[in-house]
Amino acid sequence: MLEARGLVKTYAAPAGAPIRALDHVDLSVAAGRLAVVLGPSGSGKSTLLNVLGLLEDADAGELVVGGERMSGLGRSARSRVRGRYVGFVFQSFMLLPSLSALDNVLLAGRYVGRRGPETRSRARELLGQFGVLEREHHFPAQLSGGEQQRVAFCRAVLNDPPLVLADEPTGNLDDANGRVILEALRARARAGAAVVVVSHRADAALGADAVYRMRQGRFEPGPQLPGGGTP
Amino acid sequence: MVRLLRGYAFTIAGIAIGVAGIVALGAMAERLVRFIEGGDRFVLGQISVAGSGMGMGAGFTAGGLLPAASVRAIAAVPGVSGVQAQVMLPLNPSTSQFMTLTQELVLGIDLTVATPNRYYPRLPVGQGRALRPGDRRVALVGSAFATSRDLRVGDRLPLEGEPYEVVGVLERTLTAPDRFVVVAIEDAREQWIAKDRLLRTVLASGAAALNAADLNTGAAVGWRDGEDPDAVARRIAERVAGVNVQLPSELSRLLRSSTAFLSALLVGIGMLAFVIGGLSLANTVAAAVFERIRDFGVKRALGATDLQLGGEVLAEALAVTLAGGAAGVALAMGLGAAVDGWVARTGQQLFLFSGRLLGGALVFAALLGAAAAAYATLRVVRLSPAEAIRRGA
Repeated sequence: MLEARGLVKTYAAPAGAPIRALDHVDLSVAAGRLAVVLGPSGSGKSTLLNVLGLLEDADAGELVVGGERMSGLGRSARSRVRGRYVGFVFQSFMLLPSLSALDNVLLAGRYVGRRGPETRSRARELLGQFGVLEREHHFPAQLSGGEQQRVAFCRAVLNDPPLVLADEPTGNLDDANGRVILEALRARARAGAAVVVVSHRADAALGADAVYRMRQGRFEPGPQLPGGGTP
Repeated sequence: MVRLLRGYAFTIAGIAIGVAGIVALGAMAERLVRFIEGGDRFVLGQISVAGSGMGMGAGFTAGGLLPAASVRAIAAVPGVSGVQAQVMLPLNPSTSQFMTLTQELVLGIDLTVATPNRYYPRLPVGQGRALRPGDRRVALVGSAFATSRDLRVGDRLPLEGEPYEVVGVLERTLTAPDRFVVVAIEDAREQWIAKDRLLRTVLASGAAALNAADLNTGAAVGWRDGEDPDAVARRIAERVAGVNVQLPSELSRLLRSSTAFLSALLVGIGMLAFVIGGLSLANTVAAAVFERIRDFGVKRALGATDLQLGGEVLAEALAVTLAGGAAGVALAMGLGAAVDGWVARTGQQLFLFSGRLLGGALVFAALLGAAAAAYATLRVVRLSPAEAIRRGA
């Protein structure tokens, strides 16, 4: 589902040498697999996720999503690929404050032409699955952090994307809510999606099919956490 | 939509203030333009003739006496369709009101002939009735004149010590007739004699062979269809001795040049209002778009294309700009009504909120808002979604 080879990304620094956030990273995640990338802050995990999700361009390297090469695609084409293939779960939820919980979920359908009553039913079904249906008309500011992340997760999977990318999905949650979200991500993988989670918390790797440790923009070789997998 | 507009409350308020400034200043300019245009239309609708020399100097019939023989001679000039003798006097001949734009005038007209003015064959009566042949000691008053004296139909109006019954009040024209008192020419002649000691002395001395019909400050002259009014005016000047003929086009030019400074001042203020209000509006809309940069980053992460995002931003910007524009128009009209309510006691009106002004202000606001939103959107979509999310976080 996802194939990345030799990804390089460098940021200009305000002073001193440029910062290499990704340094020739290779990653392959098949459909139905859960890959977890662990690493401390500043190791390049989020940059990796942004590049994999076409939220920003790599300076070099090759990225193939759903069998389609991403290099050379224009902005709008990349947007369409994101809408069709990718679901994002962000650490800080990224719900739109002016929209209700239900409308935030429906937003994912809007840009891929899914606006009908079936989509609405599907959105409400997801909100029900995650225990926030009674909050469907509440705005993000009226929801707890755990509820917001559950709504954000519903939004990420509304279109049943074959690729789900989660950036520190439990970073702002308590343990109980964190477990709910991680289990939901594992369930997406079991349902056939390729799932990539980046986190600084080791417990995020439980049940992963592949675990990678990242430091200074590179995957580290070495022993893997439970779940197996090799870089 | 309500939630969206509530979220943009400060933006809407900012736009409203900018638009209110534009509309309020525009309404003052419109008021003056209407005054000038009204006067222009009036003087272009007739040829104004006075006797040569110096007279009372009132209004546009300034000049010496225009005796009855001259009136008859003018009527005989080829191309002339009608002549109406008139007496125009300042209501208060004190120097403080003399020849000002807000001067109150008594206009005495010969009710036995039709008014020859092409554009104002009859003055628009709002309440009561127009003057009729045979009327004496009755007055038709302008709306500003009536307001400033709290006059209504049936009220008594003392003029030179004589009581006049107000039989009609003119519609508001926002030009000179708003301050007119129109009476029968015979009544105006009596007022003239009462006002002017020199005239009384001359008449009493018997030195001048004058009768009542000779006491005219001027005449309104009409022209036949197909005639060039300036050519007819020149013909009158050539064929009738002792008259001072105003060419309509020349009078129009004089009127415009006399108000040119005010017009230029208001055009300048209006331009300034458009620039300042426009910049404020554009800046507010652009800032509102940049404020939501994170939301746009999220939307692009969800698959929004440039076109979809641009369409959404434009629609939102238009909704917000129009809401702000409507609020600004309401604010300006409210302020204008309050100020006009205050100055109405003296018969003044400072603002004219014309349809073209309000429509123009809204269209201007919408276009500028859309342009500002388009500019901001172009800046936003050039960023990667990740960068937009980072900057907005």
